[in-house]
Amino acid sequence: MKPKDDNSKNAETFNVSRRDFLKSASVGGLVTAVTSAAEIEAQTPGPRVIGPGEVPVQLNVNGKRIDLRIEPRVTLLDALRMRADLTGNKRGCDRGVCGACTMIVDGRTVYSCSTLAIEVQGKKIRTVDGLADGGKLHSVQQAFCDADATMCGFCTPGFVMATVGFLERYPNATQEQLRKGLDGNICRCGTFNRVFEAAMKAKGVSRG
Amino acid sequence: MAEPQAPQNPQNAQGAVSGLAKKWAWPEKPALLGTPVKRLDGPDKVTGRAKYTFDINRPGMIYGKMVRSPYPHARIVSIDLSDAQKLPGVKAALALKETGAELMYQGDPIAGVAADTEERARDAARLVKVQYEVLTQVALMDRAMAPDAPQVFKGGNTRAGQSQENGDLDAGFKQASHVIEQTYSTHVITHVCMETHGSVCEWDGNKLTVWSSTQGVFAIAQQMAQGLGIPQTDIRVITQYMGGGFGSKTQVGSEGIMCAKLAKAAGVPVKLMLDRKEEHLDTGNRPSATAHVKAGVSADGRLTSFDGESWGTGGAGAGANFPLPYIYDFPNRRRTHKDVYTNTGQQRPMRAPGHPQGSFLTEILMDELADSVNLDPVQFRIKNSPPLAPNAMWRSYFDEAAKLFGWDKRHPTGDRTAGPIKTGFGCAANQWGGGGRGGSARCEITPDGAVAIKAGTQDIGTGTRTIVAMVTAETLGLPVSAVTPMIGDTMYPACGASGGSTTAASVMPPIRLAAGQALDALCGRVAPALAVDASTLVASNGRIHVRDNPSKGMAWKDACRLLGTEMIATDAPWQNGLSSTGTSGVQFAEVSVDVETGIVKVKRVLVMQDCGLLVDKLTAESQCYGGVIGSLNFALYEDRILDRNTGQMVNPNMEWYLLAGMSDIPQIEVHIKQQPERGVIGIGEPPTVSTAAAIACAVRNATGATIRRLPLTPQTVLEALNAAQKAGGAQ
Repeated sequence: MKPKDDNSKNAETFNVSRRDFLKSASVGGLVTAVTSAAEIEAQTPGPRVIGPGEVPVQLNVNGKRIDLRIEPRVTLLDALRMRADLTGNKRGCDRGVCGACTMIVDGRTVYSCSTLAIEVQGKKIRTVDGLADGGKLHSVQQAFCDADATMCGFCTPGFVMATVGFLERYPNATQEQLRKGLDGNICRCGTFNRVFEAAMKAKGVSRG
Repeated sequence: MAEPQAPQNPQNAQGAVSGLAKKWAWPEKPALLGTPVKRLDGPDKVTGRAKYTFDINRPGMIYGKMVRSPYPHARIVSIDLSDAQKLPGVKAALALKETGAELMYQGDPIAGVAADTEERARDAARLVKVQYEVLTQVALMDRAMAPDAPQVFKGGNTRAGQSQENGDLDAGFKQASHVIEQTYSTHVITHVCMETHGSVCEWDGNKLTVWSSTQGVFAIAQQMAQGLGIPQTDIRVITQYMGGGFGSKTQVGSEGIMCAKLAKAAGVPVKLMLDRKEEHLDTGNRPSATAHVKAGVSADGRLTSFDGESWGTGGAGAGANFPLPYIYDFPNRRRTHKDVYTNTGQQRPMRAPGHPQGSFLTEILMDELADSVNLDPVQFRIKNSPPLAPNAMWRSYFDEAAKLFGWDKRHPTGDRTAGPIKTGFGCAANQWGGGGRGGSARCEITPDGAVAIKAGTQDIGTGTRTIVAMVTAETLGLPVSAVTPMIGDTMYPACGASGGSTTAASVMPPIRLAAGQALDALCGRVAPALAVDASTLVASNGRIHVRDNPSKGMAWKDACRLLGTEMIATDAPWQNGLSSTGTSGVQFAEVSVDVETGIVKVKRVLVMQDCGLLVDKLTAESQCYGGVIGSLNFALYEDRILDRNTGQMVNPNMEWYLLAGMSDIPQIEVHIKQQPERGVIGIGEPPTVSTAAAIACAVRNATGATIRRLPLTPQTVLEALNAAQKAGGAQ
């Protein structure tokens, strides 16, 4: 289960923030979620067993093919950061909460720290490293620079990717929806107001 | 990092000012200073090109991992590294502690391993067999303080501090028409730096290069030298980018020393970054603070007396002092403090150490006292603030900020409107020393007109790199883009650690002086060419020219060409006269409280803050935004929660250690008050001091229930509302 996905999926209708969800999530609710995941699993043929040793993995990252030999347990984030020197996206919590690892896979934002590399073979993976067009920043990146939406900058790549992913899917999002859409990322320095300002500005730019 | 401080001397008393510092006093009409300049490294950060320690991948590099105590208190019976060493891919395994060693907190380091992948390093760490004798723990403060508590720490679980007393307590209480006696407390929080602590260590013979996620490259070099027993001159520390420190990253830590030792043992570079759990357990925290206070106020609203007994825990053998009472004038006061030692990780300075605690404890009391004599909280604070001084502007700021905030719309304590959503206003003050001394810098100008400014400081996210370039550019009359700031490396002139809001005040003066002297040298070359006296020359708009006659001069590049094959390189130490210490500020908050669920939402916060001479308006404002949000987290969300039975942390992660997300962020309005005549001071700490208190006061104003402890979780709020209802205080 990719919380990030679920978050974006409901972007136009949802009105429960990550925090509200955490506050209200009951044990019953979690059990339900696990059960339905298991049901989906039961309907598909038995999984092919690979690993635990290294296996060949082919990834399509920022339009380029990357061939790796990695253990199946290696996450998408770690595969790219430690085996392909694509270090733009960061690891903050390593548990799919802080969003510093946010990448876009087949058009949807995912927490790459909680996504296995072997799961996303054959999919189009976009990381912050490939977002700018050569020397020209993406409009979201430029808006972040203009608004001083970075401080230490460690969460910034994740916020940039979350903003890009959200605005590509929901170019006409309202302020409130945009706020909810960025609820899956955490900044400790406290750049939120300026990230929001940047995201709103970028929204205007991308809509032309 | 500054420790909790007493109020500063109101005047800047830093000693005599040299002729050089007078010559290069800050300009009266600056071209750049005080304007909003975009962060120079913004493009590197938004593209992912910025290389943090965590991003450094060296040829042949392997990965390190620590082994730590799962218990708050235990003794090591045995350590067996052999299974870990046998695991394929493992290159080194080293014990840090010996058999028989006592482990004093969960996360106390025991050993380290290194393997060719991070996954295998984790496997190897799990294969290190440690046998423990589990000992009785006192992880929780109330347990450590209990009369029958096992005395875990040598000399006892508590350490009494000095008692401070001024004036005549009894006389003060006799003057009081109302006396309030209550207990107030704040909790332990952790720094939660987005980039965890750690380093990459690479040896070349006896020379060591360390990429460290640190707030102080020179501090790390010094501590590494000490820990490894090698000369500091053999160590180079590099920190081009670092992902947050907040006071916790001025220490090399056991993980830093272990990383260097593993790299030596394995013969290849090692990267050792902590995981999120280790980060919560062993890289510092903000100590708790509790105070039992008796305070009196006279019928005309003057504070008369304060008698406070306080305690707090900074973990295993560490202090937990904080300023109390905070800011306001109690003519008669007594305060006794004791530190409580617990089986938890040691505290480290956290953004404005001690002040957020002292602020919360005092400001809630102030609102209770104001109500007791039916005075408006702002008027009450103005009445009882210290006299106006450059570093004590509260009387003026409270008045001005209240107007900007719309304080006249505040209702008396307890929102009487119908429905479950109650709103309220609150306010609080802050102070901080800031200032700083001891930095140094080098300015280089080459014949092609290029300018480099070198200083062994570091940018911890505050924008240091940008203001280093701004001050150089201002001094040389150039655009910021013409200057290359070179920082974050012990190869550059020594600077102190970035903590306690000291960086700007300790680094900008030497930069100003180094650049000023470089310009003097350049003018010495230009003067003969223009047939004028060098002392008549100034630099502005990319030209060197005669003062008051811009047409008599030459372009910067032409001037530099006169250097021929030489370059200018000037070094300068920090000097008096360009910086000060002591800031003051106030904050106002508006909250809404759902009295059915206990959920608090902060709607808006107003910041009024000074920092002496403003350097970069944009990044200074960002510090205020960040300070407010940090303090909001402290007030409402974050909390290090320990299991009452095992003493282990139950939320050493980011899903149950709650931090605000985008939907939790209020509208924030920042007003920076300029005091250019005071020179540079610093603005990192003060904005994070008072938001929590302002929020808590606003919650009290909204609900009529007084909550005397943080965090203001829904449960705490509901409990307070129920208690108030029983007492007949709230509707």
